[in-house]
Amino acid sequence: MRFLKPTLIAVTVIGLSFPLVSMIDRKSGSPTAYETELSRIQKDISDLKDGALSAPLDVAKATRFAYRVYQRAILSGNPADLQAAESAIDRAIGEIGPLADLYLLKANLDFRLHRLEKADRDINALSRFAGNAQIVALKAGIAFQQGGYQEAKKGYQSAIEKNPTWDNLARLAYWESKFGDPDLADGLYRQAEEEISAKEMRSYAWVELERGLLEFNRGRYEKAMAHYRQADKAYSGYWLVEEHIAELLAAQRKFDEAAALYKKVVARAPRPEFQQALGDLFLFMGKEDLAKPWHEQALAAYLESAGRGEVQYYHHLAGFYADVRQDGAEAVKWARKDAELRPNFITQDGLAWALYRNGQFPAALDAMEKTLSSGVKDSHLFFHAAMIHLAAGRTGEGKRLLKTVAEINPGYENFHVHR
Amino acid sequence: MSKYRGIVYASLIFFLAAGNSILLLGYPFAADHNDPNAVNSIFSDIDVSAADLYDLFGWPSDDTSGGEKVVLALTFASVPKAGVFDTDMLYRIKIYANERAVPPLKDDHSLESLLKYFDAVKDKYLHLKAAEVRVKVGQDDRAKVDFIDFPGGSFSQTIDTNKAVTVQSADGATIKVFVGGRDDAFFNDLPGFFRSINYAPQFYHVPHTMTDVRELPIPKTLIELEGNKLFNFDPQNPQHGQGVKLDLPQGPLTWSGKGYLKDRNGNYRFVYSGKDAQAGKNVNAIILEIPLGFITRSPKTDRIVNAWGESWVLKASHKVATIPDDRRPLMERISGSLKGLFSSQTGVEAELAGYKLVDTDGQAFADAALNEREDERQIGGNNFWLAPHFVTRLAHLGWGFGPSITALGLRTSFDHDNSPISVHRTYDSPILAFPRAKKVIFQELNMPDNKWNKKGLNIPLRRSFEIFVPNVNYIDMDTTGTWPYGRRPEDQVATRFLSLFLDMEAEINGKKYNIDMLGDQSLWNHVAIEPKTPPNPLKNDKEFLKQFPYLAEPW
Repeated sequence: MRFLKPTLIAVTVIGLSFPLVSMIDRKSGSPTAYETELSRIQKDISDLKDGALSAPLDVAKATRFAYRVYQRAILSGNPADLQAAESAIDRAIGEIGPLADLYLLKANLDFRLHRLEKADRDINALSRFAGNAQIVALKAGIAFQQGGYQEAKKGYQSAIEKNPTWDNLARLAYWESKFGDPDLADGLYRQAEEEISAKEMRSYAWVELERGLLEFNRGRYEKAMAHYRQADKAYSGYWLVEEHIAELLAAQRKFDEAAALYKKVVARAPRPEFQQALGDLFLFMGKEDLAKPWHEQALAAYLESAGRGEVQYYHHLAGFYADVRQDGAEAVKWARKDAELRPNFITQDGLAWALYRNGQFPAALDAMEKTLSSGVKDSHLFFHAAMIHLAAGRTGEGKRLLKTVAEINPGYENFHVHR
Repeated sequence: MSKYRGIVYASLIFFLAAGNSILLLGYPFAADHNDPNAVNSIFSDIDVSAADLYDLFGWPSDDTSGGEKVVLALTFASVPKAGVFDTDMLYRIKIYANERAVPPLKDDHSLESLLKYFDAVKDKYLHLKAAEVRVKVGQDDRAKVDFIDFPGGSFSQTIDTNKAVTVQSADGATIKVFVGGRDDAFFNDLPGFFRSINYAPQFYHVPHTMTDVRELPIPKTLIELEGNKLFNFDPQNPQHGQGVKLDLPQGPLTWSGKGYLKDRNGNYRFVYSGKDAQAGKNVNAIILEIPLGFITRSPKTDRIVNAWGESWVLKASHKVATIPDDRRPLMERISGSLKGLFSSQTGVEAELAGYKLVDTDGQAFADAALNEREDERQIGGNNFWLAPHFVTRLAHLGWGFGPSITALGLRTSFDHDNSPISVHRTYDSPILAFPRAKKVIFQELNMPDNKWNKKGLNIPLRRSFEIFVPNVNYIDMDTTGTWPYGRRPEDQVATRFLSLFLDMEAEINGKKYNIDMLGDQSLWNHVAIEPKTPPNPLKNDKEFLKQFPYLAEPW
């Protein structure tokens, strides 16, 4: 036994040395992965600017410039950057002509901004490349948004057959998470992660967030947090990760931590949906006075966006009026616009909930039945359905739905944001 | 040679990054597909990657003191820069030795027999267990070199980079190792090669979505086609294709001419310039000099050393495990470290599971000319499923190169029915292609003299089908190791590859055609062509070293 003590000491020293070494490695104040990437993109934009914007136009530079500006917008989450990206793409197309790469970029942008008809037109302009996995996946995404769920699934599967990349696997995983088996979805996400190299840590972080959300939506907060922490570790300093963590902290009733983190997120990515989330959190905490300025800022930004002819915040406006203002009529107005553009379970749920808020229970029930007929499995959507059924006098079905909600997500009454 | 895969690598990934994944669900997320598979040093908007393997050289060392040794040199993109390595990468050089086989299909030149032969080689190959040299460079700029599954055992050594070092195996073998930056040992008129196959991305800004606009449907040729405005040399823009790219024209990307271009003096215009496009460029390299006795227990009979290289990139999920997590409580971090100490996840297999295979390199030009540089065809030694494609691709190239060789007054091994002009023809099946390419596939490739056979042994001349399948560097220890009996740095393999399409039964000036014939300046002096030059440079831009590590210092 005389070796026991030195052995224990040795093991302890070795064990301690790793964390200590890792602490030494960490340079305080060194840029995060997010900051590093953003500054690299910013540098590229500066470097490319001359060739991209001055005559004679360098096609390669102009294309890359448009792409980089778009990338910056996606990364920063800043609406102004997104507008700049749209301008850069349109300008490049105007000066270069209908270059396929630019059209694909444009299609992605239009899709992102809920302009499905435009995205569809952009894709049609790329019909020559219809068999390309990217195009197939984008078309499937459009079909999904338009309520063509089976077509979307086939498209995702076809894209995987053509090109089994992580993003195509993640698309199918999302489909499974909504219409199939969440465990299968998680398996697909795991498979997607296996395809991601160390050169794509942001992609990995994103998939980890999706896996975390799967757990969050089932009330498994510890598991969700483990994924979120993994995402943060993989790609540090990313507001998208922090925003997910903030929501989770709030669901865990760690309100002060959540609010502090939301404030940080809003400062970095001044998006109205995050401002609303912070306002929602204060409201959830019973602090209406603190909620008010954030809600007002969010609403102003939503309305400004709609005033510019943009459509991507219709869904948020419907939700805002339904849940924050509890103004059914306004909620219905925006929800109808949204559902017309994107007739899917998300917008139909939004419309049903708005009609419910407006006291139109039979109409709400109709809309909700349409939503449920899609086969979607979502605790928050089922909760809306339960409330609508109860309000419409269908007590039995309402109670059954509430039971299902609790089975899917025991934490459904906790704080959450609408994604 | 995978640098020539070039453009196809680019694919669409750049724009896939534009937001597909983000918009899966409306989340603001862009996939940053900075993936080594998307690497393409020709596309200006996709960065070169450390995963992009260039060449695998291999030859019997001229220094036989202390016994026979084989030299292997794997070169790849110098990213982040020459002499500095990407720490997310892992490189492998796989090695196995066997006896020199009796030449197969000596008299039976049928397609059926050829395919059966490929099957037989596959069975044998797939059951072989290759030894491996594995290299990873750490943050401290030191290289961990693992020698795995050699008959003499496995061992590891961590060495300084950019220094030639000697390591000792447990059984006493002395192995020389160099991991560092070097001059690019390849010398080649790359733009000329691309001009010969009408490879648009070398000359034009080709959108990434337009994957069908790579090798344009214009006949391949060694001499310019009359009216081929897309690719012919333009005296007004002499750098076109040599760094200068133009916007892709809107019009048809085809050619409808009838003949070869001739100048006012009746000279053809060569697609090649003979200039070294790699001059002044660096690579990173792993160079080894290994005793044959360490590779095989039977060095007297195992005279062939087969080798290929692979690049692997760390998976994100494994990288994240190496990132310090400072938020974890101290005790949790301690227990995590202890778990790591006693984890069963150790060993070479477990290590490899944390990486993704990106690129492979074995036989010179196996990727470049036969696999059409397609990413999905980068499968290393195990390229057997490409065997039918090997036949159709050779026939496709033959319809282009064959008639142009004939026009130059030389005899070709490709049966083009005396076509007066190169033809763009593709095949879906090897059945129709095979009769045309039969001689290209089966003819013995004459060597310029007997120097290669340094011991004067009865070593058969090699044939195309033996060279390219499997995709390994085949090093014959009884030769000098000049291509196709290995690959020495001084070999002009690009020109030698073209010689596959020469009729090796033909003679010129009383001498049989051979693999170096097109590199002979005196030949071109008598051909009605401009410029009068061998297609590719005859020597490297920097003198190779006479001693290990053989490749020249970086620029």
